[in-house]
Amino acid sequence: MTFLDWVRGPLLGLSLTIFVLGVAWRIYALWCMPVSHKPQAHEREAFGTSAAASSAAKRMVPKGGFHPSATLATVNPYIFHMGLFVVFFTYAPHIAFLQRLIGISWPALPDAVMYLSAAATIVSLLIAILFRVTDPVLKRISSADDYITWTVTFLPFVTGMAVLNDTSAALLARDHVIYGGPLALHLLSLELLLIWFPFGKLMHAFLAFPTRMQLATFFGRRGVRS
Amino acid sequence: MINMDVFRGFLEAIHHLPEMAQPDHLTDAERLSKAKAVMRSKMDRSLALDLEACVSCGYCSEACHFYQSTHDPKYTPSRKLDLLRRVHARETSAFAPIKRLFTPDITVDDLKEWQELCYDSCTECGRCSMICPMGVNTARGVNVMREALFEAGLAPLELTAVAQEQAGRGTVFGVGQAELMKAIEQMEVQGISVPVDLPQADVMVVTSVIDVLLYQDALMGTAKILNHLGVKWTLRSAGFEGANFGLLSGSEALQKQASKRLVDEALAVNAKTVLIPECGHAYPAMRWEARLDNGAPLPFEVMAVSEYVGQQINQGHLKLLPGDPSRRVTYHDACKLARHGGVMHEPRDALKALGVDFVDTQPTGEHNWCCGGGAGAFLINRAEGLRHKAWQIKREQVEATGAETVAVSCGSCRLNFMAGAEKDQWPVKIESVVAMVAQQLPPTSEHQIRPLA
Repeated sequence: MTFLDWVRGPLLGLSLTIFVLGVAWRIYALWCMPVSHKPQAHEREAFGTSAAASSAAKRMVPKGGFHPSATLATVNPYIFHMGLFVVFFTYAPHIAFLQRLIGISWPALPDAVMYLSAAATIVSLLIAILFRVTDPVLKRISSADDYITWTVTFLPFVTGMAVLNDTSAALLARDHVIYGGPLALHLLSLELLLIWFPFGKLMHAFLAFPTRMQLATFFGRRGVRS
Repeated sequence: MINMDVFRGFLEAIHHLPEMAQPDHLTDAERLSKAKAVMRSKMDRSLALDLEACVSCGYCSEACHFYQSTHDPKYTPSRKLDLLRRVHARETSAFAPIKRLFTPDITVDDLKEWQELCYDSCTECGRCSMICPMGVNTARGVNVMREALFEAGLAPLELTAVAQEQAGRGTVFGVGQAELMKAIEQMEVQGISVPVDLPQADVMVVTSVIDVLLYQDALMGTAKILNHLGVKWTLRSAGFEGANFGLLSGSEALQKQASKRLVDEALAVNAKTVLIPECGHAYPAMRWEARLDNGAPLPFEVMAVSEYVGQQINQGHLKLLPGDPSRRVTYHDACKLARHGGVMHEPRDALKALGVDFVDTQPTGEHNWCCGGGAGAFLINRAEGLRHKAWQIKREQVEATGAETVAVSCGSCRLNFMAGAEKDQWPVKIESVVAMVAQQLPPTSEHQIRPLA
């Protein structure tokens, strides 16, 4: 068994298992936390689940009315979140990889879109870490989780660049892998991300929406739009 | 007119509060144990979600008046929940056995350090939640921290002293039934009828120590407006204090006790409505958090007095004399009343009905800046300089409107505004919404024998 076989096989299975079970366990543990069932004061305005969901969705748009922050600090997270999405879900070899895992596929975007997105995301992640190590607030509130999360997010991009020697059409047309070592490293970096995911702040991908909804409900019952 | 001698006397009394606090005799180990017990008991799904969802983006500092006025990163709101986050990670989170290996336990020194972060430099204004991309309710977490610190005997001495007084004697700053009756006698001398201790009433009015001692214009204004409306109302001498130092200090038991006193009186007179004075925290304490003994929601309506007055104007029950359209007035939203209470439109409607040139600050409403003195922060002596810095943001906001008067509907905010104004020789007038409305009541009733002083 080559290193690539090992990374593609048992290690991928292990990392996916840790990812799925870890995320499920973390959500289940939260679900099992105590909940107050005390009847609440009469609400000022009806504010149901759909209103909370709508408010949670709108929170993706930055609020006006606050002290002007550095434009870059506000725009940067949008760039790397969108870049991450485009690179992972719209690049043909990634779609082929996902198809092997989950059995479904979808049309890919041209390679150039992925190249541009990857470049923007890499620059954006570098800016993010620059902010984190230089901004007094971010320096003060950062923990190991922030640096590990940044590293495991950044590595798949760096290792991915090492396997970009052909067009996606050429890559997919081959019946064998010619860049086995770099590809194994690329997969390994993804597996690192999957393994770390349930333990750190990457979990915000699952927690952001319910947290926003509970805040929206807290304020919404009181007649306050958040 | 506000009696400035009384105002200065009040400030002087605050300086002596720490001497009145009864010391506890807890060891450090007991303090830590008590604080952690509270943190554990309050660690529910909602709080855990808030703690786990934070991505350390630091945006909350953009919204915090204490950070923005000092640029000291220690005031970053998300950091104020770090001790809770550590206790949760080590004891109640999904991977607690693993996290415990890498997360240091909290210490008494941590708790002492966090006292300043949770009392002096956080008014639980909730503005940081408005900007948080994850929607974390930081103010709620800080409130849990206050409860933990109070149980550990680590609340600021000023708040501890007043909380001990309210829990023990039922008074706040020495104001009990006798002091209330004295204030009412003065109102009666001015021709303002105050129906005290009626056995039945539709509206029960709650007041506060600060209105009894200092802001009598707000209490008189409330009485004049209710009399003018012909409402059957009363003020109960056995339960009149809206200020709740249980909520401010972090004593849940006292919070319930102080609320119960008002609830019992309201039930005794079969009140349909309880009017909360111009006191920011008193409103959410009764409107959103108080319950009957059996945990059921209150069977009567709870309204802030400025909310009630605005509603009466909007419903056409209260007509006012025309005001001076050249007089520019702005309004300061008390955080507990607006962002945490939902009372935003009615006080503005009341001010607009005065016929003045009303201009809102920017930002305003649910995004308004805190004045820096809420949630008991005004009483903490060592925080005076920090408070004043934070108030500068509010001052700039008001000045940008060009208003000659800023109306407020919270005694604590009014105190903080007045303290800032006195220090800076700030010329803008600081007035009560209710008192302003009362000054423009048509002189049609026997209750206005003499004009409001």
